[in-house]
Amino acid sequence: MSDTDIEIIVDDPTAPEDDSPAVTSGRAVDAVVSLLLLALAMTLGYDNWRTGIAWDATGPQPGYFPFYLSVVLAGASLYGLLAAFLSRKAAEPFVTRAQIRRVMAVFVPTLLFCLVTQFLGLYVASFLLIGGFMRFVGKIALWKSLLTAFVFTAIMFVTFDIMFDVIMPKGPLEAALGY
Amino acid sequence: MEAFGLLLHGFAVLLTWKTLALMMLGLVLGIFVGVLPGLGGPNGVAILLPLTFTMDPTSAIVMLSCIYWGALFGGAITSILFNIPGEAWSVATTFDGYPMAQQGRAAEALTAAFTSSFIGSLAAVLLITFLAPLISSFALKFGPPEFFAVYLLTFCSFVGLGREAKHKTVISMTLGLLLAGIGMDTVSGQLRMTFGSSELLRGINFLVAVIGLFGISEILLTMEERLALRGHAAAISLRVVLSVWKDLPKYWMTLLRSSVIGCWLGITPGGAIAASFMGYNLAKRFAKDQDSFGKGRIEGVFAPETAAHASGTSALLPMLALGIPGSGTAAILLGGLMVWGLNPGPLLFVEHKDFVWGLIASMYLGNVVGLVLVLTTVPVFASVLRVPFAAVAPMIVVSCAIGAYAIQNAMFDIWLMLGFGVVGYVFKKIGIPLAPLTLALVLGSRAEDAFRLSMIGSGGDIKVFWSNYLVGSITTLAIALLFWPLIDKGLGGVRLLWQPGKV
Amino acid sequence: MRKIIKATAALAAALTAMPALAAWEPTKPVEIVVAAGAGGASDQMARMMQAAIQKNNLMKQPMVVSLKGGASGAEALMYMKSSEGDPNKVLIAYSLIYMLPLSAKIPFNWRELTPVSVIALDQFALWDNSKGPKTVKEFIDAAKAATWPFKMGGTGSKREDHVLTVFIEQKTGAKFSYLPYKSGGEAATQLVGGHIDSNVNNPSENLEVWRAGQVRPLCVFDKERISYTAKVTDTQSWHDIPTCKEEGLDIQYLMLRAMFLPGKVTQEQQEFYVDLFRKVVQTPEYKDYMEKQALKPIFLTGKDMLQFLEDDDALNKSLMTEAGFVAK
Repeated sequence: MSDTDIEIIVDDPTAPEDDSPAVTSGRAVDAVVSLLLLALAMTLGYDNWRTGIAWDATGPQPGYFPFYLSVVLAGASLYGLLAAFLSRKAAEPFVTRAQIRRVMAVFVPTLLFCLVTQFLGLYVASFLLIGGFMRFVGKIALWKSLLTAFVFTAIMFVTFDIMFDVIMPKGPLEAALGY
Repeated sequence: MEAFGLLLHGFAVLLTWKTLALMMLGLVLGIFVGVLPGLGGPNGVAILLPLTFTMDPTSAIVMLSCIYWGALFGGAITSILFNIPGEAWSVATTFDGYPMAQQGRAAEALTAAFTSSFIGSLAAVLLITFLAPLISSFALKFGPPEFFAVYLLTFCSFVGLGREAKHKTVISMTLGLLLAGIGMDTVSGQLRMTFGSSELLRGINFLVAVIGLFGISEILLTMEERLALRGHAAAISLRVVLSVWKDLPKYWMTLLRSSVIGCWLGITPGGAIAASFMGYNLAKRFAKDQDSFGKGRIEGVFAPETAAHASGTSALLPMLALGIPGSGTAAILLGGLMVWGLNPGPLLFVEHKDFVWGLIASMYLGNVVGLVLVLTTVPVFASVLRVPFAAVAPMIVVSCAIGAYAIQNAMFDIWLMLGFGVVGYVFKKIGIPLAPLTLALVLGSRAEDAFRLSMIGSGGDIKVFWSNYLVGSITTLAIALLFWPLIDKGLGGVRLLWQPGKV
Repeated sequence: MRKIIKATAALAAALTAMPALAAWEPTKPVEIVVAAGAGGASDQMARMMQAAIQKNNLMKQPMVVSLKGGASGAEALMYMKSSEGDPNKVLIAYSLIYMLPLSAKIPFNWRELTPVSVIALDQFALWDNSKGPKTVKEFIDAAKAATWPFKMGGTGSKREDHVLTVFIEQKTGAKFSYLPYKSGGEAATQLVGGHIDSNVNNPSENLEVWRAGQVRPLCVFDKERISYTAKVTDTQSWHDIPTCKEEGLDIQYLMLRAMFLPGKVTQEQQEFYVDLFRKVVQTPEYKDYMEKQALKPIFLTGKDMLQFLEDDDALNKSLMTEAGFVAK
């Protein structure tokens, strides 16, 4: 019967400030992405031209479609590049300094996580990522962070490696424990 | 009544304790990802997909589709209680849902949302039940040219009807098609675009790309925003539920209208977002006192929720029947089907009857079970939002990595996922749509194979795409859609000639 | 309850396996690597063996099926090659181990792996739509008379199905256009739908549509008829299908199904698996599967297997060369 109205409040003390200066403009990123896509299109286009782009007795050769697709991609990127330069609209910020700091706070740990997974296995990396992230980025109490990290990693291990036989990459620690 | 017999058979396939348990598990997980910030339908399904790899296909798809419904229900919770739409198509739900919560009518709004989701899905499932046998009856007419025409139609409709800048849609789509072509070309048996790397030999897996594009990039995007939130908690009592249900017949017109809009937009790749807004706007236009909308009117919850769910569910019909995903989540389910060796398309209805009807039956059951589940457990899930994002974010990253790895047991895929995460983040920020990329990745090689098999069959004659009524009309429609903006302008011009006074 | 069963089973295993106590055994779950997609013949076979091993308690560690069908199976070959010295991976191989290195220039040679045993031979048959010609002779005549070349469906390009098609062309002078599909199942339904005129599927791939009366087997590419005489359709058994030679089309082709370990494993490790699969082929699950899929039972190990592989390799190589499928 309770139509209670308890408020749930979650605060975000480290939220990015609204007035943070822009690192770069959307237009600049647009131009860089277009250039990268153009380079990709040219690399793939060349490779396909080598594979064969003709139309032989049994229809098109393997490189035919990808070659013309890279031509289209190159064309569209060029158009994008021109549009970025010719645009008269005021440049909107792509990302502000405060925002990029927060994004890097996730991206860098994720990158490290992938590296650690490669050498120490996924479960060790998972424990380190969750524990470390909660402690250092979230400023959550050490014991809470470590406990959460351990419990989550253990649940993942039991679910995937034991119950469902989905084998994850492992490192020296698991080997020492006999897995 | 062939459909009815097949459906009963489907229920028989489904009614085992194991399947029911998986269904519950899927729903709970789904609501969970629906409520969590930075996740949602497609991401949740993509991340949880590997859990199902060792199951048989029917159990797996039942669980996945339940995750999907759970996520849809979960999205409604955050929209109403916190004014945070979990998905783009829940935006319209917040218009009247949040004001209702502010007025202390949260329970009523939630009940309305869940009930109308249920009604919308049910309408769509009924449609699927009766259209599916029709589709299977002409399944065998589909040869390579027909398949290619259908793929062409999908690609063209994206370019022609998409609202983003055209060159950005084209970039996204060609990039997807190129990535799909990496690896071995099945028609000639030759390698291409691998640059001698044995990691690229197997090609770029669609699901790995999706986990990166949606999962990882979403975390990065979420971090940019202020994550503070305040909202209302609500427990739903039986009394409220019954009083809302008692009033349902009053709103039959709204519900029916939204169901029809939803089904239509779901089957044509228009999507749930358009459906929810259209449902809302039409309800408003037909209402007597339009001003009361946006101030906590229950019809403002009924209309968009019914339409969104009808469209989300009916999007599965073209996915199963033609192999064309009508939504992002449907695309991921499609990728999942291929992992289990099921080739979506008209032949699925012929080759894997058990599977198709098991899935359709699970749509009925999953919705009933889901409705009961959300109505009883709302407070628990609402409090999930109290969990700090600093704990949720790394867990999502780990789940993504597990998902990406499990698909092919390859460390390389974890790196690939990270790369796609960055690409997704940048693309979303500069307005390159991701939907055409995912669509092209999943359909690319199939479309190319279909084209080349048609060419081998016809001896290189392109006229094969107009060789009968079926393939001819699909191909023509595809080309018309590609140039739709031009045609639309042209038609506008003609109309101007007719009635110059009015414009 | 389950514990008791497990305990008794373990006890029984311990009693019977006493003398071999010191021998090597896997300490981690064993991966069966499948060089094809889910649901294909290799995948089904791998799952059958997984079930047979688990049900009959032939190994303490579980078996996991690992699908590596990317790049038409090349992914699995490269994976095995790079797993040198790892005794916890077994490849379930078929003729692609000879053909893929030739047609796609994949740097792989089966001699770098450790052969365990040949466990079955797969048949091929010539099938047409049940509305089409009724005998091989009528079929070939119709193919020759057709204005458009007959369409022959198969799995993959420059592989066993494609080679067989080229051979039929060479023996008869009829022309076919070969359509490479992604799986035998697809080739089967496309034949039913009339989008192709014939296919050269394995018996198991066309089994369902044959039972439904939608396709007709014209002949089997083997020296002798298939031995299974139980009725499969209302009127016919596998044994009732004539050989192609009987029908005047002298082509024979059988495809191996064999198990390999990665290179550089120890002799004990190799022996463990030889012994394991020797037991597997005696299980009812295996025998049942062989009959259902119309496979030819065979069990070769050691020198016999090597001899078989060398002969088979030479044969496939000459077929591929003659068909013009060897990449320059």
